[in-house]
Amino acid sequence: MNRELESLDAVFREMPDLKVEHTGPRRTRIQVEADALPTLLELLKGRAGYLHLSAISCVDWPDTEEFELVYHLWSYQVSNLISAHTRIPYDPGRYVSVYDLHAPAVYFERDIHEMFGVWFEGCPDQEPFILTEWQGPPPMRKSFDTVAYVNDTFEWREYQPEWANDPSGGKG
Amino acid sequence: MSTDPNQAVACRTVDAEERSLLGRVLDRIADHCRARSLFVLHYCTGCGAIELPPTMTSRFDLERVGMQPMVTPRQADILLITGYLSVKTLKRVVMTYEQMQGPKYVIGLGSCTINGGMYWNSYATIKLLDRYIPVDNYIAGCMPRPEAIQQVFLDLMGRIDRGEAQAWKDYYRRYDWYLGQQQQLFGTNWQAPTDVVGEAIRYRLVGEQTLGSHTAHLERYAPYYDQLGIIRPEPARMKARPQLEVVSR
Ligand code: SF4
Repeated sequence: MNRELESLDAVFREMPDLKVEHTGPRRTRIQVEADALPTLLELLKGRAGYLHLSAISCVDWPDTEEFELVYHLWSYQVSNLISAHTRIPYDPGRYVSVYDLHAPAVYFERDIHEMFGVWFEGCPDQEPFILTEWQGPPPMRKSFDTVAYVNDTFEWREYQPEWANDPSGGKG
Repeated sequence: MSTDPNQAVACRTVDAEERSLLGRVLDRIADHCRARSLFVLHYCTGCGAIELPPTMTSRFDLERVGMQPMVTPRQADILLITGYLSVKTLKRVVMTYEQMQGPKYVIGLGSCTINGGMYWNSYATIKLLDRYIPVDNYIAGCMPRPEAIQQVFLDLMGRIDRGEAQAWKDYYRRYDWYLGQQQQLFGTNWQAPTDVVGEAIRYRLVGEQTLGSHTAHLERYAPYYDQLGIIRPEPARMKARPQLEVVSR
C-alpha cells in the first residue's frame, strides 16, 4: 500500500463513525453524518490529497423528507474518486457551505439552492444562476409537477393531418 | 425639412397610386435580388445545429444558392433557430431578432420549435416559437437532415422572390400581442432594448395591434408615440387572441 492510501486510512481512523465502502477499483463511497462532513472534507484535503471537489450533487428523498448531498472528490495523487454522502432534513433545509475549503463549491451550492431550495450558510452567492427568468418553486424537487406546470403555462399546437400531405412545400 | 417619415419627400407631388406602383416594381426587383444572396445567422443552442456543417460545407454546399453564414444579427437576413429554446435563451433570441434589419426571416429547425418536441414536458423550454417571434418556415424532424434544410431554404428563397415571405411585418403590426406573449414568460416589466414601435412607424407598419395594453409601459421611454398621430386602438376593438397562422411545410 502506498503512502497516500495509508493516509486515507489515517483519516478513517480519526473519524470512526464513517461507513466506508470500496465500490470499485477507483471509487470509494463514504456515508457521513451531516455535522461531520466539513471535518471529513478538511481531513481528506489536508491529509490525503483530495484537492479537487469536482461536483456537489443533490438528491431529493420525499419518503424520508430529506435531501441527500453528495460531494465528489478526486485525488490526483492516487487517482481515486470519493463520494461523500450525507443527508439533511427538508426542514429547515439549511446546510453549511464548504466554500472556505473548496472555492468551486460556490457554483455547485448556488445551483443546488436554485434547483432544490437548500440554503447554504456562508456561501457568498446564491443569486439565480441558470433560471434567471424563473418565478416558480425549485424545479428539481420531486414535489414539483413539471407536466402540470407545462400544461398551465404553455399552449400546444394541434396536429393538422394535411401538414403531411405536401412535403415539398407546394412545389412538388 | 419635415422629419415625419409619413410625409413624402419629393420635388413634385407624387400621387399615391403612382408611388405605390413604382414602389411595387422596385420591391419586386429587390426581392428577386435579395432571394439570391441570403446571410444566415445560426442560433445554435439546439442539437439540430450539428446538421448545419454538412449543409454548408462541400457535401451539400449551401453557397451555390447564394447563402452564407453570418456572424452578426445586424448583417443577417435569416435567423435560423436550430432547436429547443429555454426561456432564458428565448430572451436572447428576441433581442437578436429585433436587432436584425428588415426584411428578415426566421426558420424554426426541428420539432422542438414547432411543438416542444421531445422537451415538451420540460418546465424550462418554450413550446411554440411563433408565439414570440414570427416564423416563416418550420422544418419538422428530430433532427431534420441537410436535404430537408436545403428544401426549406429553397422554398424560402422562392417565397422571398415572389414577395410572399412577409412574416416579419407581422411583428410590427401585432407587436402588442407578441410583447404580451413575451411578458407572460419574462414578467410584465419586460421590454427589449429595441424601439420596435419606432421602427414600425419608420417602416410604416403600424397596425391596429402595434400598440395596446402591453406596450403601454414603453411610452415612458418614447413619449413621441402619441405626437406622431398614431391612433391607439380602443381596448374593445382589439382581438383577445388572434388566430395563429400555421405555416405548414
Ligand atoms: S428537435 Fe430533436 S434534434 Fe432538434 S433540438 Fe429538439 S430534440 Fe434536439
